[in-house]
Amino acid sequence: MNDALFAVFGLGALACAVPAVLARRTLHAALWFVALILCLAAIYGLWGAPLLGALQVMVYAGAVMVLFLFAVMVLDVRGQEREAPVWSVPGAAIAAVLAALVFAVGWAVVRMGPAALAPAAVSGAPDVGDDNVARVARVVFRDYALVFEAVGVLLLTAVVAVMVLAKRDLES
Amino acid sequence: MFQVEQVLVLALALFATGVFGVLVRRDPVVLFISIEMMFNAVNLALVGLARHEGLVLGHALVLFVVAVAAAEVAVGLGIIIALFRARTDMDVDRIDELKG
Repeated sequence: MNDALFAVFGLGALACAVPAVLARRTLHAALWFVALILCLAAIYGLWGAPLLGALQVMVYAGAVMVLFLFAVMVLDVRGQEREAPVWSVPGAAIAAVLAALVFAVGWAVVRMGPAALAPAAVSGAPDVGDDNVARVARVVFRDYALVFEAVGVLLLTAVVAVMVLAKRDLES
Repeated sequence: MFQVEQVLVLALALFATGVFGVLVRRDPVVLFISIEMMFNAVNLALVGLARHEGLVLGHALVLFVVAVAAAEVAVGLGIIIALFRARTDMDVDRIDELKG
């Protein structure tokens, strides 16, 4: 059952990723990306990471995508749809070759790298699953509390940076 | 049966799609969406490997990655809006003001 659902959502994620990159209109790309995010959230839920699935929906499909749509709205990108093709043919061919290369190298590392994966190290995956939220909380707030605080400082810095960016007129 | 190879292939495919988007598109917002897609591919690999190894540490790492990605989106979109507010053409190739 889980395998079938993984196949559905995995293929769904790929089917959403391609138009998200290729869509001519910015708004369409953003909406395809939301669909991709929801597929990934479902996969996280399947794999015993319900907290990450929920966060994926709230932070990505919610907060981040609202920011994207806000940017699309502010920039009024309709003007550029009249422009020439989105990409040139040789450029797209080179990019496709490079992307395929990234995939091939990654696959080679997975298959025969020094860290080649042992088949099913732990069966049943005892640490992932029930009371997943409590376990993640223990890692985040106890073992890595300092990192957590650092991320908080980073977010605060980002907020201040965006305020400065929004205030100053870069053209002047 | 949980197959970690399938997961990594899916993550690699998403990452490669994001790379293609970054290389090919000139619309800054779509460029940014492609970068986010690469972030998500890495997160997917982390969750899959956490499941494979039976360790919850990967979930915590994904949590931090999501937080950093959110900060990155806020700053990045702020820069994009500041750069393109006064323009009609949305083309990253024309942003060459920092060239020496």
